[in-house]
Amino acid sequence: MRVVVAEDLFLLRDGLTRLLTAHDFEIAAAVDNAPGLLCALLEQRPDVAIVDVRLPPAFADDGLQAALTARREVPGLPVVLLSQYVEQLYARELLADQAGAVGYLLKDRVFNDDQFVDAIRTVAGGGTVMDPEVVTKLLGRRSRDEPVSRLSGREREVLALMAEGRSNVAIAQRLFITEKAVSKHTTSIFTKLDLAASEDDNRRVLAVLAYLNA
Amino acid sequence: MGCMQMLVLLWRILTNVLRRLGWGLLLVPVAAMGIALFGLNLWTLAAVVLATVVAVQWPAAAARALPPSMVGAGLSGLFVAGRITGSPVNWVVSKFTAVGKVAQIPAKGSPAGLRWVTITPNGGMQVTFSPKAPPGWTMGVPAAVAKRLPGGVKAVGPKRMFLPRQVPAQRKFVPNQFVPANATPKGASLHGAQFFSGPAKFAGGQPPAAFAKMGHLARPPWAVQAPAGLWHGRLLVPLALLLLTLGLWLTPRTLAGLRGRGAILAPEVRRWLVANRWGVLLVPVTLIGLTVFGVRPWTIAAVIAAVVVLARWPRAAADLVPVVLAIFAVRGFQLAANWQSMAAAFQGPAFNAPPAGPGVEYGALLVDSPGTALLAGVEASVFLALGAWLVPRTIGTHARTVFNPGTDVELAGRVQRLTESRSHAVDAATSELRRIERDLHDGAQARLVALGMNLRAVERVLPTNPQAALALVAEARESSVRALNELRDLIRGIYPPVLADRGLGHAVRALSLDTPMPTELDIDLPGRLPAPVESACYFAIAEALANAVKHASARKVHIRIKHADDILRIEVADDGVGGADPALGTGLQGVERRLGTFDGILAVSSPPGGPTMIVMEVPCALSSPKTFSS
Repeated sequence: MRVVVAEDLFLLRDGLTRLLTAHDFEIAAAVDNAPGLLCALLEQRPDVAIVDVRLPPAFADDGLQAALTARREVPGLPVVLLSQYVEQLYARELLADQAGAVGYLLKDRVFNDDQFVDAIRTVAGGGTVMDPEVVTKLLGRRSRDEPVSRLSGREREVLALMAEGRSNVAIAQRLFITEKAVSKHTTSIFTKLDLAASEDDNRRVLAVLAYLNA
Repeated sequence: MGCMQMLVLLWRILTNVLRRLGWGLLLVPVAAMGIALFGLNLWTLAAVVLATVVAVQWPAAAARALPPSMVGAGLSGLFVAGRITGSPVNWVVSKFTAVGKVAQIPAKGSPAGLRWVTITPNGGMQVTFSPKAPPGWTMGVPAAVAKRLPGGVKAVGPKRMFLPRQVPAQRKFVPNQFVPANATPKGASLHGAQFFSGPAKFAGGQPPAAFAKMGHLARPPWAVQAPAGLWHGRLLVPLALLLLTLGLWLTPRTLAGLRGRGAILAPEVRRWLVANRWGVLLVPVTLIGLTVFGVRPWTIAAVIAAVVVLARWPRAAADLVPVVLAIFAVRGFQLAANWQSMAAAFQGPAFNAPPAGPGVEYGALLVDSPGTALLAGVEASVFLALGAWLVPRTIGTHARTVFNPGTDVELAGRVQRLTESRSHAVDAATSELRRIERDLHDGAQARLVALGMNLRAVERVLPTNPQAALALVAEARESSVRALNELRDLIRGIYPPVLADRGLGHAVRALSLDTPMPTELDIDLPGRLPAPVESACYFAIAEALANAVKHASARKVHIRIKHADDILRIEVADDGVGGADPALGTGLQGVERRLGTFDGILAVSSPPGGPTMIVMEVPCALSSPKTFSS
């Protein structure tokens, strides 16, 4: 699987490259600035890009902007954004095109390399992965709303894990329940939130995120 | 015991009620004074209803409108009082009803202007002009009065006398029906009408029924309601003066409040009003001139001239205020100087002596006796004192800037403000650095130390107990995650990343997404603001939002940000319980100081019960929008 890495700090870029190589990823390009990233994305067309939000030259949200520009050129180009902080505003912009194949994670998540690599593979496969912190904030904001408050505690847990982009299998493992129980919960959640149920995992995640973002 | 404590308790209850409902509620009794002054009619009722609606609906606006309303009520009171004491007609009526005399008054006291007004026992009124009266003498009888006199009003005398605003002259004059038994005729009449002075004695010992009826009917409406209600007007003048003084005292405070807090007026209007507050005084002062010199063409012209001067040369207007006050004082002293000659015309104690004539109006007084002449002197002294107090503030400062341009007072004030705000800024920066130092020391630094110790422990146990080493490594990783979280929070508190990335508009949008309540945004910012302003405004909005969530238990917040004419205006309004006061909480105070560093202001309108509206204004330029280079 071919990856483009964009990170301006040498130590982190090097660490990421090593981690990915160790997990059988092929590094198509490792760049340290936004214009370079845009070129790499458009020329290399990688299977997935791992991008730091803050990049030179402006050291603002250049990485995010470059990724969004690239996705406008190549719709659905899989991008995982890494950042020292997560902002709902940026998550919203990433999800706006409803095309999926995006991830938004705190840099800390690299510490757990298995989960991190899983997340990258999910995005490369067209899935959506949101950092638990984003989901917590989204749920916190909507917790007072009528439909969300009608969910049971367990259903809320399932909803959070769904929004993070996890599959039924992963949710079942995480909550120590059967897959069947998970799908029962998801059906109930979709009914209570009045969402169209879908068997497709990606569609499902996007629907839940769109609902929470509204 | 009880009396004093009861009073204190009552006062506490009253002030508490007022604090809860807002001082604006006082607008209602002030408006109700209109009924006392002008009688119960559509206008006065409408004023009371309007005042009630404003006081209930917009308590803050009502509180702000209170001082000018008090000034208005005070001036109206003086105006009415002037009419009551100054109008011979009413004087006759009240004299009549009060003492029960068949009344008459000689006009002016001078033989040339001799004039009689007679109330006839059947309820008629007769006005007699002397043939020797100078041309142009008039006798005004308000139509409302004339209508209520069952006997009608009649003018007698040479043809050149006339009765303006009077019932048609054809109205029939009913001749006297009751003639006091022992009345001594005094004076003369062209048409055989009889005039009397001294206590009236009626045939049969009782005043005829028509008398009592007339006493009721003959009072003009404005004389009945105001003076009768307020102890025949004796309370009216002190009350009016009290209201006027209180209102004038409160008005500059409201103006000062506007400078610091309220932002109802447009900023330029506000600045102009504050800068020219002494000049603005010229208009009410010339209005007072109407009561000092009477309503004459030249006094009215003076009011118009005052407005023109104020608009064109506000500084000159300020300089004129003490001059005009001095002129008032001269007039007052002149009247007071007459008191001895007046006293000579009286027999008996000066204050109880009946007036020698209709007298001369001065301020709220009718100078017609030695006592009132002395009071005019007192009033003149007040005018003079006020003028003298204003001299260093108006003529003084202007002269100083003309003769010694180096010491501009405004400049000095500005330097003082800058010195204050600079020291605030340095203080704030220092305490902020200390906070960061403390957070780093207790947070991330401590965690890194723990991390190092953990790793050292791993080194030691790894050869002997790999299982324990694994647990320690997991712990070390947890520790690093926590350190990162703390650093993240710290950075967010120093300079939020979105603010650095995208500027105020997006940062506020991000902030609103993190706020657990519906937030409406109305942001009009075509470019980036200077970074320090951006940061100060961001934290100000964050503080306001946090207050709305934490203290106001608001359900909805509206944030409006607009940049126009090099002024950034931010409004944060919520529908919570209100009662926010920058003087009480340190949060808003800190915001005020921080904005003050940029010459910005913070205005809080938060009456108990809400809603809360926080307005911030910062003068600053907008840089062109940052373009993303890809």
